[in-house]
Amino acid sequence: MSGAYKKVNRGVTLTLWERLYFPEVIRGVLIAAGHFVPNFVSVTKAYFGGKPSDRKIMTIYYPEEKPVLPEAYRGKPVLVRARDGRGKCVACGLCEVACPPKCISIVGGQREDGTRYPVTYVLNGAVCIFCGFCEEACPEEAIVMSDRYEGLCEYDRKPMVYDKEALLVPEEKLTRRLDYIRRRMYGKWNY
Amino acid sequence: MSELRMDLHTEPMILSMGPSHPATHGTVRFLLKLDGEKILNCDTEIGYLHRAFEKHCENGTWTQAFPYTDRLNYNSAVQNNVAYALAAEELLGVAGKMPERAVYVRTIMCELARLADHYTNLGAATLELGALTAFLYFVEARELVWDLIESVCGARLTSNYVRIGGLASDLPEGFADHVKRVFATNREHWRQFDKLLTKNRIFMDRMRDTGAISAEDAIALGFTGPCLRAAGVEYDVRKANPYLVYDRVDFDVPVGTTGDNFDKYLVRMEEINQSLRIVEQLLGKLPKGPININDASVRNPAKEDVKNQIQSMIHHFKNTIEGITVPAGEVYVPTEGSNGEVGFYLVSVGGGKPWKCRVRPPSFALTQGVGEMVKGAFLADIIPTFDMINLIGGECDR
Repeated sequence: MSGAYKKVNRGVTLTLWERLYFPEVIRGVLIAAGHFVPNFVSVTKAYFGGKPSDRKIMTIYYPEEKPVLPEAYRGKPVLVRARDGRGKCVACGLCEVACPPKCISIVGGQREDGTRYPVTYVLNGAVCIFCGFCEEACPEEAIVMSDRYEGLCEYDRKPMVYDKEALLVPEEKLTRRLDYIRRRMYGKWNY
Repeated sequence: MSELRMDLHTEPMILSMGPSHPATHGTVRFLLKLDGEKILNCDTEIGYLHRAFEKHCENGTWTQAFPYTDRLNYNSAVQNNVAYALAAEELLGVAGKMPERAVYVRTIMCELARLADHYTNLGAATLELGALTAFLYFVEARELVWDLIESVCGARLTSNYVRIGGLASDLPEGFADHVKRVFATNREHWRQFDKLLTKNRIFMDRMRDTGAISAEDAIALGFTGPCLRAAGVEYDVRKANPYLVYDRVDFDVPVGTTGDNFDKYLVRMEEINQSLRIVEQLLGKLPKGPININDASVRNPAKEDVKNQIQSMIHHFKNTIEGITVPAGEVYVPTEGSNGEVGFYLVSVGGGKPWKCRVRPPSFALTQGVGEMVKGAFLADIIPTFDMINLIGGECDR
């Protein structure tokens, strides 16, 4: 379609008024004040009995306030604990091979009723790159990316190696993500 | 002064600037030979962020390379995803069969990434010249764009969004309204940034006629992108060799004259406006439909099918474990990244892993021009010159 190469105007010339410099400084300060004054007023208002949403600023007061994360957010990968108390994982090992940095290791086993389950499931959080390929590979919706982003850093590498107990999260807490991946990521209408 | 110089024994000073200098973001070292404040020679040393990207890609399946491409130019990760996917699709022979919606969404995400990259670059450049206020306006604009990218991809920087034969997920509900709100704020920020800097005497003195490069030298050094166009060369991969849907949108490409830092700044400022235009046009005619190719040997089948049909399940397991089977051959597909031409040269010998995965990063070619551009200038001119190159260590050193 249309559109062409266009020269930019580099011959910006300054008028005498602009070359006087001092009026330009004031103009700059006025632009900054246009940000500062409304921010200052709204923050002060919110401080004296207003709601946090009254603050018309970009930043949030983090530990007290939490950011609103989009549904797509990829946080710590977790295993889904089904409503009957068992993990959904069947130890097929697909997440293990799909993981680019190879941070998952599984030892599979069989329960007495014949169903398969992971005897050990170790996810090394220090190696994980949060790409979400494990979630995409899992045929059982057993591992999903939760919206948890806190407490993933430690001073030592040992506590960052998560075992099965540290990874299992009840299904009820993951409904938002499970709903999202069915609706937006792997739904049949995608094809 | 000259008498003094004759009496004194003087010799050029060797100064090592970087690798951990606040202005050498991306970790690069300049070995400078100085006469007073004048630069006699500048050697650029790169490689501090080398992490064997190409070898990593060759050790994983075709799909597993995507998270690593995110980490090339982390400011505009989606563009690297798209460049890699286009090359792999060309090799697979499915390039022409991509569903319309996937191509449109890819283009939109590419332009959003370009916005984020230019905001960061211009903001950081002004910050290093001492203009903190303007930096904060563009960083706010960038944050808003990254919020958009996060709502689509799930992460701000490590997007990992594109797949061979489609996309990881569809656009979220209400995306067009979100874009509209963000763009209104960003246009206001752009106006204020422009007012603060473009006619600012200090800024002009630092930028104008510093770091200039002629069109011939720029071509000889392998420049691409805004830096090449600032030198007056009319070359943009989006126009010269249209990919995705760039031939169906109406946009201009700004071109400079002398290739100095002020031209590069103006070109980038105008490209922001053009990117906003492209995204708005594309959102207006975004088609409905599938986002993935209907070919189970290329893109994993839907989860319902995997659970219910044995054939889909086999494809899903084979694609994940062995990787997508790509026929033998080699391909190079150029795309226009925010800094210049990003292209992947892929070689396949058949099978699930790339035999060779070479990326052509724009920063690498641009960095070799720094020495040329600052020779004879003052020490302080390195800062704006290097900023306008926009070296991204992750991409240059790979």
